[in-house]
Amino acid sequence: MTSVIEVENLTKRYGDVIAVDDVGFQIEKDVIYGLLGRNGAGKTTVMSILTAQNFASRGRVRVFGEAPYENARVLPRMCFVRESQKYPDDAKAPHAFRTASLFFPNWDQELCDRLVADFQLPMNRRIKKLSRGQLSAVGVIIGLASRAEITFFDEPYLGLDAVARQVFYDRLIEDYAEHPRTIILSSHLIDEVANLIERVLVIDQGRIIMDETTDDVRGRATTVVGDATAVESFAAGREVIHRESLGRVVSATVLGTLTDDDRRLLATSGLDVAPVSLQQLIVRMTQRAADGRTQNEGALR
Amino acid sequence: MTAISPAATATPRGRILNVVRMQYVNRMTFVWIPLLILGAVLVFSVVIWVMIPYGGPKYSAGSQALIWYLLAVGIQSLTLTFPFSQAMSVTRREFFFGTYLTAATTAALLAVVTTVGGFIESATGGWGLNGWMFYTAWTWDSGPLGAALSVFALAMLTFTAGFWGATIYKRFGGLGLTLVLVGIGALLIAGLWVIGRLNAWVAVFGWLASLGVVPLSLVVLGIVVVLGATEFWMLRRLVP
Repeated sequence: MTSVIEVENLTKRYGDVIAVDDVGFQIEKDVIYGLLGRNGAGKTTVMSILTAQNFASRGRVRVFGEAPYENARVLPRMCFVRESQKYPDDAKAPHAFRTASLFFPNWDQELCDRLVADFQLPMNRRIKKLSRGQLSAVGVIIGLASRAEITFFDEPYLGLDAVARQVFYDRLIEDYAEHPRTIILSSHLIDEVANLIERVLVIDQGRIIMDETTDDVRGRATTVVGDATAVESFAAGREVIHRESLGRVVSATVLGTLTDDDRRLLATSGLDVAPVSLQQLIVRMTQRAADGRTQNEGALR
Repeated sequence: MTAISPAATATPRGRILNVVRMQYVNRMTFVWIPLLILGAVLVFSVVIWVMIPYGGPKYSAGSQALIWYLLAVGIQSLTLTFPFSQAMSVTRREFFFGTYLTAATTAALLAVVTTVGGFIESATGGWGLNGWMFYTAWTWDSGPLGAALSVFALAMLTFTAGFWGATIYKRFGGLGLTLVLVGIGALLIAGLWVIGRLNAWVAVFGWLASLGVVPLSLVVLGIVVVLGATEFWMLRRLVP
């Protein structure tokens, strides 16, 4: 695997606040990443440092092997439209798209036109008069149609309704299949993007707490469904991260990989195995990381 | 399935010109609105001149309306267009030179329009009303080119003031901008005090009057260059 982004010891401070804390990771070519984490975890800060919109306090960032800052060889190969992107005052969506076509060498006008129709984006209204969802659509269209080798989507779904979000996910996958590229999608609608992302990067309080393939993350836990007593006896002694019940039927998500013994036990107790919600797993991991920190701090005192 | 290859990107000069095209992509801001303001002010001035019974020369300082507009353009170039240019993967250097090139083009356009206006005024004796908006004896002292240069320099200074002030505000906050403005004020007051102490007011005014429009415009452009250089330095570390 070739990596397109390499990050070492990246730290970003704002006064006393450490937004990104000594982070290191690599982004592989032509993979769709989910950059997940709570609000204020440092997702946007990391993305804006990678695209040289913001500056690191310490550490090293390499994109296509070069430092991205003021680098006209590297920057046009990346596209990062912020969640709160600003546009020139009286610009309308076509102005923004025409400008994007000037700067992104792989810009596809046909794709852009199709997306405008898909999102029913008004072309005659000034961008500052658009609704939140339409504003997000402008950013999404630039991100997709620019077909940059590395594309960042920063919570692109804000204000988009369920239909529009699905349009985005569908178009993203379609276009990715035809033109594979590296995509970094920041989101906290984790289950919605779970089927899209191949790798998961979870950032919490400025640190990367998970950097794995989505499949590996899913393998970390199992959801067992069946009769309440059977489920409870299977879950006894295991860490249950989520439990739901409907009458006598209980579904419990337990941490840990299943052993052969576990599988036999499940079969004999008549329990079914269901897919794990990525969101629940990540929420649990994030909470656990937070607990770990509190304990460490407690031990230090 | 076609993998995305690093497509040939525009040359550095091409990308700076693309910034100019980005600024002009909505021609309203940099072209039509300034011309509209100028046209409207001229019409208003003519109407007012017609209403004034006085037969001597009547002057309109209406063209200064443009100055305020260019100040706003300078501010918005930074607060809105700069963040947009960052999303377009434009380097700060490309943005700076492209934006100044745009401002210079607009300033040149205004200089041409005002100078043509001045020609018309002097040919028609002030639109047949003895009313003067574009032509003043002092700015035309060195001929039409000198007059054009003065408009160009003033337009560039106004744009730069907005661009520069907005950059200080974004980098150093409201307090920073206030301190800089207070500092500039203090320097001016100190200058006035020194001139007063030296009893040099007559000499200073004499010098200014003798300076002529071209050297004075060049002084203004010098200030623009100095402010522009500090602007570049601040922009290099500016976060959108």
